[in-house]
Amino acid sequence: MKAGRHPPMRIDTIIDERIEAMKVTVLQETLAHGLSIVSRAVSPRSTLPVLSNVLVATDEGRLRLSATNLELGITCWIGAKIEEEGSTTVPARTFVDLVGTLPAEQVSLNLNTTTQSLNVRAGASNTDIKCIDSQEFPPMPVPEMDSAFQINVADFKEIIQQVAFAASTDEARPVLMGVLMNVEGDKLTMAAADGFRLSVRHATLSTSAPQALSAIIPARALNELARITAEGGEMISMVLPKGRGQVVFRVKDAELVSQLIDGVFPDYQQIIPRAYKSRTILSTQSLLKACKQAEIFAREGSNVARFNIKSSGDLEPGSVEISAQSEETGSNETIVSATIDGVGLLIAFNVRFLREVLEVVRSPNVALETSAANSPGVIRPVGSDDFLHVIMPMHLG
Amino acid sequence: MSIHILSPEIASQIAAGEVVERPASVIKELLENALDAGAHSISISVLEAGRRLMEVVDDGCGIPVDQLELALARHATSKLNQVSDLYSISTLGFRGEALASIGSVSRLTIISRTSDSDVGARLQVEAGISGSVDVVSAPPGTLVRVQDLFYNVPARLKFLKTDTTERRAVDTLVTRYALAYPHVRFKLSEGKAPSLQTSGDGDQRAILAALYGVEVSRQMLEVLAEEEGLKLKGFISPTSITRSNRREITFFINGRWVQDTSLTTALNNAYHTLLMVARYPMAALFLEIDPAEVDVNVHPAKAEVRFRNQDRIFSFVQRAARRALLAYAPIPPISTQGLWGSSAPQGGVPEQFDPAWNFSQELSEQNESPFSPYSHLSSAGTGSSLVPVSLPGAEVPLLRLVGQIGSTYLVAEGPDGLYLIDQHAAHERVLFEKLMSQHENKNIPSQTLLSPISVQLPPAQASLIQDQLPILAHFGFHVEPFGPGIFQVRAMPVLFAHADPVAALRALVEDFEEDERPLQSEIEARLAGRVCKRLAVKAGQVLSPEEQRSLLNDLEACNSPRTCPHGRPTMIHLPVDVLERQFGRKGAR
Repeated sequence: MKAGRHPPMRIDTIIDERIEAMKVTVLQETLAHGLSIVSRAVSPRSTLPVLSNVLVATDEGRLRLSATNLELGITCWIGAKIEEEGSTTVPARTFVDLVGTLPAEQVSLNLNTTTQSLNVRAGASNTDIKCIDSQEFPPMPVPEMDSAFQINVADFKEIIQQVAFAASTDEARPVLMGVLMNVEGDKLTMAAADGFRLSVRHATLSTSAPQALSAIIPARALNELARITAEGGEMISMVLPKGRGQVVFRVKDAELVSQLIDGVFPDYQQIIPRAYKSRTILSTQSLLKACKQAEIFAREGSNVARFNIKSSGDLEPGSVEISAQSEETGSNETIVSATIDGVGLLIAFNVRFLREVLEVVRSPNVALETSAANSPGVIRPVGSDDFLHVIMPMHLG
Repeated sequence: MSIHILSPEIASQIAAGEVVERPASVIKELLENALDAGAHSISISVLEAGRRLMEVVDDGCGIPVDQLELALARHATSKLNQVSDLYSISTLGFRGEALASIGSVSRLTIISRTSDSDVGARLQVEAGISGSVDVVSAPPGTLVRVQDLFYNVPARLKFLKTDTTERRAVDTLVTRYALAYPHVRFKLSEGKAPSLQTSGDGDQRAILAALYGVEVSRQMLEVLAEEEGLKLKGFISPTSITRSNRREITFFINGRWVQDTSLTTALNNAYHTLLMVARYPMAALFLEIDPAEVDVNVHPAKAEVRFRNQDRIFSFVQRAARRALLAYAPIPPISTQGLWGSSAPQGGVPEQFDPAWNFSQELSEQNESPFSPYSHLSSAGTGSSLVPVSLPGAEVPLLRLVGQIGSTYLVAEGPDGLYLIDQHAAHERVLFEKLMSQHENKNIPSQTLLSPISVQLPPAQASLIQDQLPILAHFGFHVEPFGPGIFQVRAMPVLFAHADPVAALRALVEDFEEDERPLQSEIEARLAGRVCKRLAVKAGQVLSPEEQRSLLNDLEACNSPRTCPHGRPTMIHLPVDVLERQFGRKGAR
């Protein structure tokens, strides 16, 4: 556990008293899909063997698959024909690799409780996997979904993509490894920052939340959530069980539980510049392409790319000249035409940061607002004001 | 040339050289006098790092009018009467040399009044020649003002370091004494604002905070041990806080600051296997010992001591420190300082703890156990007949390529025998030097922070940084002063972009203290890492004869071709005479 995190999850359910044996039949495709969803929460190298396992349990006519690394837990329910109830935990890597190679037909799973070995039979293949008793698996909390509120999946996925990448990966600053989520009425705001850049996205919920809430959710958990939810008009139910420091997201057949990050998210409002001296409007795709090119040369050094913003004169249109150079590989320069309202400027940015934000801007045109070579730049999609990204400049010394 | 007795002036100047070598040593002598006089409040002012003025004012017992002149004579002291006293010295001073020595190399003014006298007396000394004693009004206590130090000894003056260095020495000295005497109020001012002020209320932690900063002082571990005739008190750093030098290890014996390598070694031994190589703890330890057991009269500066029972002291210090260390769980804390400076409120121990979810914590604690079982293997014996060529900087002789073996090593012949060359290590060295030359003299790009971060530094480091702000900017740190001892970091070098800005700044300050080229080690480490991972040919890669030859040529052109950037040897040398012995041609055993 990291400092600054909430206390570990709490036991809510005790896996029911030992049931003699488990006997289920499931389609290979369904099982493989379910395992691919939960296996991301498995800790690959844990000193606690059971955390490298996936819990396989019968649950009200379906098969439940769960994995957790104690910070993040993912559960998924798949359809199965249950002949006898039971549960065990199966080593995740072995199980995933095996199921991936099985023929696309019925797979029967038979647990021998005395030896804790799971017999997996499909077609001509017959396998016995050594398992660990499900009693050792950390129980997953069962939330009450009464106070949950609904978010449209497609929207939420986009919001996550636009914000979560800006979160820090530095364990020394736990608060910044998370995404701030604020909900008030039907207004949702999410923000993430890593000390050099800040991403903020506003959205309107289809239904109002029962009460206002504010939480810092690990960026990793949100990325996993975006991964396991399918595209489309599905809804995500979200709930913050009281006093537990956890968040639970539930989609149709899956559930994701994450520890929240304890702490105070910095007041990002005061970082957003209130005014600018020049506003440069560019084609998102052209700028992205230029940044990708510049990055090839900038990445050898310190990712520095220079942006020479030349305001439009009487005769010539405005343009931005993006250049990067490396002692080893060479130099690159691209000119992107732009509409510039304000004065010209030479400013340097970390081109990777810029590329990452441009990749999530959906509008065809993007505005870059700048004031001086040493003050922050702001990226906004043209035509919508629900997203903004603040990026701090670099100095060449 | 005739032999003659030196004039008293010259003799006293020579003697002064032993006691007074820099402004800090003057301050030390005056401070010790003030402490011996039983002062409760000592105020020190320094101008131009002590070159122009040093003034120490105390509220101690003072010197009676009729003894003032005597106080400045050589070998005049009130602290010692007979020879036997020398073996049980309980005052800081005793030689009766300090004032005389200082007086002989400066313009010295002393004003003093005893509490039972109505008037004070003033005496001025210039280059060792006393003026007359004047009666003046003065508060009780003693004021010693030293002006124009070494004005009559130009050679000494020339040997003084820069103002920054000298001021740091004074800072360091005064803070150490403030720590050792928490019941005495200290005030140190250099120019206008006081750079150190202690309350004299006996709270050592508060002084520690002035010395190391609040965050560090909070984490320092308390040492308290007693054994017959020995008592050790003080603070040592937990294993998570380390320095790259031993400068922050301070020992006081009976209230006297001493530099003793055996005590430092004893402390380091207490940290054995707990710290990384070349990292040292911080400590301020106060040893109390029967004065008869220790001889401080080794050198006039009294910084060296001899113990009657050296081994016992050594093991006592080591055991006491080790015990204090082990009493606290040696788990490095994770820095939780938010980027915005406003540190997030820490939850402390969570209220709801469930054993099932708690074991991960215990496990991670075990994982972070700082014992490294391999640390002592690194010096394991090398082969007896194969000699790794490990003289860095030594040149490689002209080599004739023989070929590649095991797709890993190159075999070459030199004038003095056979050379085996590790192709990966050799290529690393070649690339490393190429990249380093590209990075020379280049400005380091910096990345502005979303919001500035405040860093609090102890006075010594703060004054160091204050003078280096323009140089810091050159290295990509944009730092602004933000109150006493506090700095705001607005931008940091890209090299450090993924580190904690506070730690990065501290690392840079340590480099400055070491007078190294700042950031050099960081840049080298980054380059070495990159070269190793991405660019250099790997072991197991077949090289064509042209490639092998070109690698050999490039290696010959390197500045230090015999080691790779990580310090492993690039080549092993098998001298001809070893071959001859092995084949029984010559001197066979």
